[in-house]
Amino acid sequence: MSLSFIFYLVINTLVVLAIAPLFVSIIKKVKAWTQGRRGPSLFQTYFNLAKLVKKETIYSAHSSWIMRITPIVSIAAILVAALFVPLVFVPEPVGGIGNIILLLYLLALAKFFMAVAGLDAGSSFGGMGSSREMSISAIIEPTTIIVFAALAFVFKTLNVFAMFTASVASGTASTPTLILLAISLFIILIVETSRIPVDNPETHLELTMIHEGMILEQSGPNLALMELSSAVKLTLLMALLINLIVPFGLSTTLTLGALVVAIVLFVLKGTILAGIIGLFESSMAKMRFFRLPSLFIMAFFFSTLIIIIEVFI
Amino acid sequence: MLKEALFIIALLVLVAGILFPLATASRNQRIHRTISHGCTVAGSAALALFALLILITGEGLSLTVYQPIAELSLSFSADRLAAFFLLLIALVSACVALYAAEYVEHLEGGSRRNLLCACTNLFILAMALVVVSANTFAFLVFWELMAGCSFLLVMYDYAGPEIRKAGIFYFVMTQLSTLFVMLGIVLLYGQTGSFDFTHTGVSLLSTLAFIALLLGFSIKAGVIPFHKWLPYAHPATPTPLSALMSGVMLKIAVYGLLRFLLDVFSPDLWWGVLILVLGIVSAILGIIYALKEYDIKAMLAYSSIENTGIIFTGIGLYVIFASYGLTALADLSLLGALFHALNHAMFKSLLFLTAGSVVHATHTRDIERMGGLVHRMPYTSALFFVGALAIAALPPLNGFASEILIFISFFSSVAIADPLFKVFLFLCLGLFALTSALSAACFVKAFGSIFLALPRSPESSGAKEVPFLMLLGPGLLAAACILLGLFAAQLFLLAGLTVPIPDMFLVGLLLLAMGVLAYAVLFFTASREVRVTGTWGCGTPSLQPAMEYSGHGFSEPIEIIFSTVYRTEMKNERKFYDAKNCIFAEGTADIRLMKIFEEYLYLPVARFSYQAATLISRFQNGCLDTYLLYVFCAVIAIIVYLGWLA
Repeated sequence: MSLSFIFYLVINTLVVLAIAPLFVSIIKKVKAWTQGRRGPSLFQTYFNLAKLVKKETIYSAHSSWIMRITPIVSIAAILVAALFVPLVFVPEPVGGIGNIILLLYLLALAKFFMAVAGLDAGSSFGGMGSSREMSISAIIEPTTIIVFAALAFVFKTLNVFAMFTASVASGTASTPTLILLAISLFIILIVETSRIPVDNPETHLELTMIHEGMILEQSGPNLALMELSSAVKLTLLMALLINLIVPFGLSTTLTLGALVVAIVLFVLKGTILAGIIGLFESSMAKMRFFRLPSLFIMAFFFSTLIIIIEVFI
Repeated sequence: MLKEALFIIALLVLVAGILFPLATASRNQRIHRTISHGCTVAGSAALALFALLILITGEGLSLTVYQPIAELSLSFSADRLAAFFLLLIALVSACVALYAAEYVEHLEGGSRRNLLCACTNLFILAMALVVVSANTFAFLVFWELMAGCSFLLVMYDYAGPEIRKAGIFYFVMTQLSTLFVMLGIVLLYGQTGSFDFTHTGVSLLSTLAFIALLLGFSIKAGVIPFHKWLPYAHPATPTPLSALMSGVMLKIAVYGLLRFLLDVFSPDLWWGVLILVLGIVSAILGIIYALKEYDIKAMLAYSSIENTGIIFTGIGLYVIFASYGLTALADLSLLGALFHALNHAMFKSLLFLTAGSVVHATHTRDIERMGGLVHRMPYTSALFFVGALAIAALPPLNGFASEILIFISFFSSVAIADPLFKVFLFLCLGLFALTSALSAACFVKAFGSIFLALPRSPESSGAKEVPFLMLLGPGLLAAACILLGLFAAQLFLLAGLTVPIPDMFLVGLLLLAMGVLAYAVLFFTASREVRVTGTWGCGTPSLQPAMEYSGHGFSEPIEIIFSTVYRTEMKNERKFYDAKNCIFAEGTADIRLMKIFEEYLYLPVARFSYQAATLISRFQNGCLDTYLLYVFCAVIAIIVYLGWLA
């Protein structure tokens, strides 16, 4: 393991932790604007996390060790997954870090723990959330894997680092397949981060909530960890999309200047993408749960189309 | 020399494990059964050592025991493939025997339990001998021995009508399997003129032999549509034996298929496609059915079908890549299939054993009547959780380590030139990914319903943790699941294979580091106040078990989404008093899960063979004159035939 890789581990983790709450706030802000409200401050998510950390933790008497370790496992899995998607600086991959399949399954690890914890307290809201989350994540899986396979196909590698290096080298990567891929990746991002039309991150209404249902029994610092891990997950999926499609500015050498430029550019690009997500969410209503499979099937055929195009051209 | 000695010692110790409890069956004492299980552990240890020696040195062993005539011999040989499966058998058997030493004592049946011990040892011995058989004749003999033993084991509790039905069902299926394997071996003999595992060319006869063997092995491995015996036989069998049957016996069928594919046949492309399609169909349907199951052991049985499907997928990919001449990729998929066989043996026996502990503690197999066991059986629940993580293919455990190999081979199928075939493989990849996601959902449901929240029955609230030995066996298996996952890359290096698998140990370290970091940050910054209080019960005074999300509720969305697969038949007949159908008079409603395979495949075949048998049985009318006529006709026919030849 080289020194630059260790630097990468530190830089990537710090950057993703610092930026993630900002993107969540931006999406909220944009949604508020479209509804004619002023919206919370851009730093509100940071304030919320700080507030939660200072609160007491409340456990249900029925809950077990699952409830207690889930927040830690969840944040650990998501932070390791974030290491697989370089935000601002791409080093040489070490020991298979950056493998796109492993990335997917690290996210699944966090999801598994979250779903099990949802059942732990015996509340029916938690069970409802877990059940819906696992169903959705199961039926989106074929689409996700096909998109990832298409990525591997286009870039001729399984490693996210190598994909980013290739896309940086080619400058703007606006080939038709990549644009199609971007659309599919966007759908995956919406589904994986539980946003409208799949889920509504704003409400605690039992009819709509999926992700919020699972973490309903979490409180205090544990809830802060869960919120932070979902923010980091959003950021890492956004980074995957951004650095594949508009990679300019992404640093491949470890110099201070390049890093600062990369961070500033990443925040800018991320802000634009967060705005797009906010507008997208505002433009439609949440779908009925059992209408979702048809949306996913559409996404699936869309992503298969990429493969077919790529194969025959 | 050391190897021969180890092998023979292992066999002798296992034989001692068979004979000892039989000899002392009249006395029904615990110590005799414990000694028998001790023999299993010792024999397995010797077998494992033997297998490791071969795996590391790469030098095989061959041994002829009995040779009545020149071309027919009972001889053994072990190469690395055989050694790999021997290792699998030995590891699982040892852990299962540790568990069984305690479990058997809680079974009913008096000195019949001695027979159970003897039969278990015979079963293990037979499986080991199938794997080391040097020719197809010995293979068939031990295959049948294995089948017979397993039938006796299924029938242990023969008093129950359900168990007898399961036993007979299993017997028919397993004999069908033997029949097809025998047919395949006979056809091969017709082709090559010998019982050795020798290469044959491509011909109609060898293709037919392949089909027969594939059928035979598919039935034994529980590939859909030949899978129906698994969900019947497993709930009927005593738990340690379910673990052995699911963890090991299914793998012996996989071994058989691989042995013939690698050593005998020169596979065509379409063979690979056939195996791949069988594998994918089994994987996806297996897990979809598992989600619907509420009998814990039947659920695990369906999940075994899924995992067999995954192994078959790997083998199918191997054949496809091999026939395209992509050797590196072919080896990768074969490795994935083999590694998954080993991993499945580990986590499935772990899950079966811990499920058995749960059934032992709660006296029910219905997961809807469990719940809350995490507080009552903390160690068992932790062990089951490791198994669930492994089977859901989550990193850094072993289930993921083998599935990623198959994923990588799918991802690399770009190398195939034929574009349509590429699209086909990518579609298979999509379905394959769906199975692993569904199995995660299935095991969230299983763990949640069995162990979490409030107990949903008095049995469940009175459950107690099981004794030490029943934790030790699964504990060792859980350790194997974790180690095989973490050190997968290092193990492959040790075996001299270069595999593009991520370093899971590094990932594990990173996970640990991040977890410790998060904990440390919270420890120093966050409030450490903790309050324990009841779950909010929506305004009712206390939370009732009936308010929890049940297993049925959990899988309901998936059941609705895949309702076309389940083929649920809903009847709803209503009568009304008035013409406008407003005032309800009476009605019936009925929801029935159609057993598609039984209704459309098994029963028609059974009916047909019954009719054929009736037809043939007319010849056997019990009248001596008729039989004399048959003899006379036969003699005439022989004379005519010989006269023709001369």
